[in-house]
Order: sequence, then C-alpha cells, then structure tokens
Amino acid sequence: MALGGYANRVAHVDLTAGTVEYRGIPEDWARKYVGARGLGVRYMLENGPQVDPLSPDNLLCFMNGPLTGTEANMSGRMAIVTKSPLTGTVTDSHHGGWSAARLRWAGFDGLLVKGKASGPVYLYVHDGVVEILDASDVWGKGVHDTVKFFRDRYGEKDLSVIAIGPAGENLVRFACWVNENDRASGRGGTGCVGGSKLLKAVVIKAAKKMPKAANLEAWKPAHKRALETIMDERNITSPRKGGLSVYGTNVLMNITSAMGALPTRNSTVTSFGPSAEKISGEYVKEHILVNDPTCHACPVACKKEVEIKEGPWKGLRMESVEYEPAWSLGANCGNDDINTVAKLIDLCNDYGMDAIETGHPISIYMEATERGYTNGDGGIAWGDTMAMVELARKIAFREGIGNVMADGADATARYFGHPELAMTVKGQGVPAYDPRGLKGMGIAYATSNRGACHLRAYTPAAELGVMPFGSLKVDPLAWKGKGELVKIFQDIHAFSDSLDLCKFSAFAEGAEEYAAQYAAIVGVECTPEDVLRIGERIYNLERYYNNLAGFREGSDYLPARFTQEPSTMPGSQGHVCELDEMLAEYYAARGWVNGVVPESKLRELGIID
Amino acid sequence: MQVNFYATLRPIVGGRTVEFDVGEQVTVKQLVDIIVERFPRLRKELLNADGNLYPHVHVFINGRDAPYLPNGVETVIKPGDTIDIFPAVAGG
Ligand code: SF4
Repeated sequence: MALGGYANRVAHVDLTAGTVEYRGIPEDWARKYVGARGLGVRYMLENGPQVDPLSPDNLLCFMNGPLTGTEANMSGRMAIVTKSPLTGTVTDSHHGGWSAARLRWAGFDGLLVKGKASGPVYLYVHDGVVEILDASDVWGKGVHDTVKFFRDRYGEKDLSVIAIGPAGENLVRFACWVNENDRASGRGGTGCVGGSKLLKAVVIKAAKKMPKAANLEAWKPAHKRALETIMDERNITSPRKGGLSVYGTNVLMNITSAMGALPTRNSTVTSFGPSAEKISGEYVKEHILVNDPTCHACPVACKKEVEIKEGPWKGLRMESVEYEPAWSLGANCGNDDINTVAKLIDLCNDYGMDAIETGHPISIYMEATERGYTNGDGGIAWGDTMAMVELARKIAFREGIGNVMADGADATARYFGHPELAMTVKGQGVPAYDPRGLKGMGIAYATSNRGACHLRAYTPAAELGVMPFGSLKVDPLAWKGKGELVKIFQDIHAFSDSLDLCKFSAFAEGAEEYAAQYAAIVGVECTPEDVLRIGERIYNLERYYNNLAGFREGSDYLPARFTQEPSTMPGSQGHVCELDEMLAEYYAARGWVNGVVPESKLRELGIID
Repeated sequence: MQVNFYATLRPIVGGRTVEFDVGEQVTVKQLVDIIVERFPRLRKELLNADGNLYPHVHVFINGRDAPYLPNGVETVIKPGDTIDIFPAVAGG
C-alpha cells in the first residue's frame, strides 16, 4: 500500500477453522474510509448486511485508525465494529486506555474475527502474530478476574486485556468488551457477539513503539497546533483547569438537570431537582475522588477514580464515575446515592455489560411498578438501591426477570404489555440528554446509525457553547437549523472516529486540526473540506448498510414521550421535541429520501461504482 | 439573593450557594457586576474584555440561559427565582 502510517496488517481470524490469515488493507478502502469506524463498516458491508448478528457468520472487528497509538493526542482509541444483536444495525463502539495503542504496537491495524470456536478461546496478540488459545480456565469469570488471570500468565508489563464477562457469555444483548483499565466499548452489544463466538478475550503484549509519521516535517507543526488547542485555557480540555479535566464528564449532571434536559425516572420528567447535585461531578470531587487517570497520549485526564468511604460498599475503589452511567443508574432510576451508582458501574464493568443500557430495563421495571403494570408480580420502587444491585446480577446471569431484561429495553417494555415505556431508538436506549431540553439531541438520536446515541453528533457542544474557543453557540430550545447542524457533527465525528481520536478532542480541535494530523501521519493531502467529505461518505456507508439490513423509510423516530408529552420542569417547561420539522431539514441536507440513501448519492460519494 | 455556583467556579466562591445583598430591582447584568465585585477572581472567568458574559458561561434564571430570555441580561430578577451560574461544561 502506498499510504504511510498504517501497519498495513490485518489479522483475519476464523474461529470455526481455527486459522489466522494476515492481509494488507485494500488501499482504495483506506483512502475512502480511513480506519477504525469507517474501515470496520466497509469490512462489515463486504461480509453482508443480512447476516444474523449471533450467527458464526457475523464479523467482529477490533479496528484501529491510522492515528491510533501514535504521538497524536487522545489517540489511544479502538473501534469494535459488528452487526448489533441489540439494534440489528451496524454498530461501532470505542474504548480508550492503552489496549488500542498496544494493538498497533503489536503490528496490527485490526483483527477481524469470524466463525465460532468449538470451546472458549482467547486471542493472544504479539509481535505481528495472533494465536488462538484455550480460554476454558477463564470462562465464567468476571472481567476483573479475567484481567488478573492473564496478568498472572503473561506479566502486567506491556499487557492489555480486552474481555467479556458473564453478560457476554450469557448473550445479554447489550454485553460489551472491557479492558484492564475498565474502559468499555460499551454500546450496541459487541460483547454479546463475542460470547456467541465463544471468544472470551483479546490479550495483547506489546512494548511501546509509536509509529512515525509518513511526513515528519508536516507532523511537527500539526501535532504542536493540536496540543496547543487542547491546553488552551479557553477550552474545557485544558489540563487541571477546564471543567472536563477537573470534574470529568459528570460535570454535566447539574447543568442538564437545571435546564430541564436530564431524562429522569425513565424520562417521565426532565430534571432530577436538588438530587442531581448528589450524583454530580462536583459531589464526586468533593467527597470520593481519589485519582484522575488518563489514556495513551492524553494530557486531559478526564477519568475519575473513586473510593467509597461508607455504607455497604465501603472500601470499593473503581474507575470511573462517568456522566452517562451515573445518569442511567442514577437519575434515570430515581437513585441519588452516589455510592450505589459507583457500585453499579463497577458491577457493569465486571459483568461486561453496557452501563448506559443497563439502566433502561431497570427504570422501565420501576415505572411499570408505579403504574401497576406488573400485575402484582414483584416490582421495584424508584431508587431502591439494593434491588438494583440484585437486578444487575440477574440480568448478567439471565436469572428470573433478568432473563427478559437481558434482551433489552424494548423486550422489557413489551413483557409488561406497554412498549411505550421503552425510551429507545432502533432498540438502543437513549443516553443522558432529554431532547425536550436539548433539541439537537432529538434529531441526533433519531438519525444515529447505531440507535439512540449522543456520540454520533454531539450537539450539546454547540447548545452549551463549548465548541473550540467558543466558536458557536445555539439556543438549546430552538429546533431550526438543528437538522443541518447534526449533519455537520455526524460527518466530522465519523472522520475523527475513523482516525481514531477520542471524541472529546472535538472540544478543542476542528476539521483543520484533524486534516493536518491525518495528512502528516498518512502522507497525503487533506483539507478541512476533505475531512467533511470523507466523514459524509462514512456516514452514508453506514446508512447504506442499514438500508440493506432492512431499515427503510420511517426508521428514524423518537419515543412518543419526547414528541408528545411536554416537559414539566424549569428550563424546558412546555416543550416537546419537534422531530418532524428537524427530520425534513436533515433529509434535505443529506439528500436522503425519508431515511434511505438514493443510488445517486452513493455514486456521488464513491461508495458504489 | 441566593446564587448557586458550579464546577470550577465553586473553589473561587468557596461553596455551592452564596448569598448576595442586592437592591429590590436587580437585572441579570447588575447581579453579575455585584458578583464580580465581591469575587474579583470571577471576572476573568465570566466576562470578556468588553465586560460582557462569555458565550460559554451560563447564567440561568429558572433554568433558562439569560441571553435567551426576552429581555436578555436586562431581565429583572424576581424574588424566588432560582439563579445558577456555570462555567464552560461538557462531557459525554
Ligand atoms: S479526554 Fe478522557 S477519555 Fe479522552 S483520551 Fe483523554 S482521558 Fe481518555
């Protein structure tokens, strides 16, 4: 391949046959789809969009981008790409720490796993080779014990372990992959696909060996400029000064609650009132914070490690209390006990299941109980912390009602006879922004290619005025212009997710910084316009896959609660989300017909000939 | 009048909620001036060189960012209004 930057080595693993082949990346694909998310989806398309997510034929891709593991800031990211057993769409879910960087240092751009092993296995990745080895000794173990097992076997130095826990083994549809730093590729059930293949872990041993840029002369200024934007005191990334660095992502809890944009008690209301403070980033810092861990090449250090000082989980040390799970297992469930929130997040990490998704079936069960939909058959009150901990276990092991909840929010709501209680889009639960108070999130959730998601188009950056250097601020309660705004965000994030840089780079860097770094590492020309064009191509590629998988006209929607039940809380009182108006604007900007990519668009973007 | 502060503003004012002595009719802009007079270190956090609120700073009156209220920062604060002041915050 003529492009620099890449290892140009992808392991094609067939677990049924027990074979590993090593191939380069088709250059045309690398140029068009960059890496990580984009390239992963291209491999998925090649594998066929009709595949049953839990059949051996589904492909599970562990994909790096050309910037992964380099000197680039926030470049310790990997995308796990597959067809989701939760949504039926293509999905990609990223994690940080050092496992992605080590995969690159071991000599790989990606691992593509197909088939199904005859017994539990793990992949041992080192020195440009992948071995398929017996994992019977760790099958049944939680992620934490699995990590410990492999550390004992291979030594802790230069070792990364990406594992599934009992949730993945038991085919919980929102099971995930978690690494040795408890960083999860959380969303979309990628761990469930691992479980279906009897793949327990990917173990990587590789010493630090950062790849060099193809164009070293261009790299130095590109890197310097990106670093300066991250360090700048005007940006929230500024180390030890900006809100993200000091308080972590959970710095959001108080503001979204205050503005009526925090979906609370299964989105029945839009604020957690004074209780938000008790599970906020400020509260965590003032009471239980013990450390601020980071990821490969990141000066921001937004992770927040805590130690519980009292109550039934006294002594538990865990990372990290993030905004999304603190919301899902906190406000969403009417739970204002930060210690239980931390305990539940830690349990989700150990069971290997998405902490955002886990709160959904639980809060549905709580609302069903309140409304008398459980027919007197058990029930759980809002904020019942001990019952939540027990439910999390039942979900992971598919016990009792947990066996229903393990199939996701839609299945749980259907079980109670009230599908309208599921706050989902394409089967995936909404994250921590109520689209009645932050309207851009409404159109972002509806049109996300992996089901409800805040990270496909992070419009709060504009709606809260935290774009790099305060470059843009828009009214969170206005809907006009949000369709077009979401398209731009989707396109630029699709590019950065393919590099693969941490999403939080977008609070400091823009298309210019991404273009300059990509161009220097790979050794090509790239302008900010190219960034948006490539991002658009990747977004359309995903949509094309989904269209072929059966998501046709009318597949972009929101739960009726957000479009029909006005907010009753200060900040957004009286507001619903004007989805239809925003959808019309969005489809016009995309050139799509009611959610379907026309052939002409696919041709124009070079996706088909 | 009680004002709630968040995130990196808290260490500067020394806590979550601070009481301010204000006259009967105070606008958002006047309140901000009173606040920065009492806590001079807040000036560079809240106001740009022209003395206007930074776009990334939020002064919420009952959950609504003051610039979006019909009278903007000239809005007169009523007794019982909830006032929250945030620096730039985001995450995800
Ligand atoms: S900003 Fe946070 S999540 Fe992103 S790379 Fe840095 S420490 Fe990791």
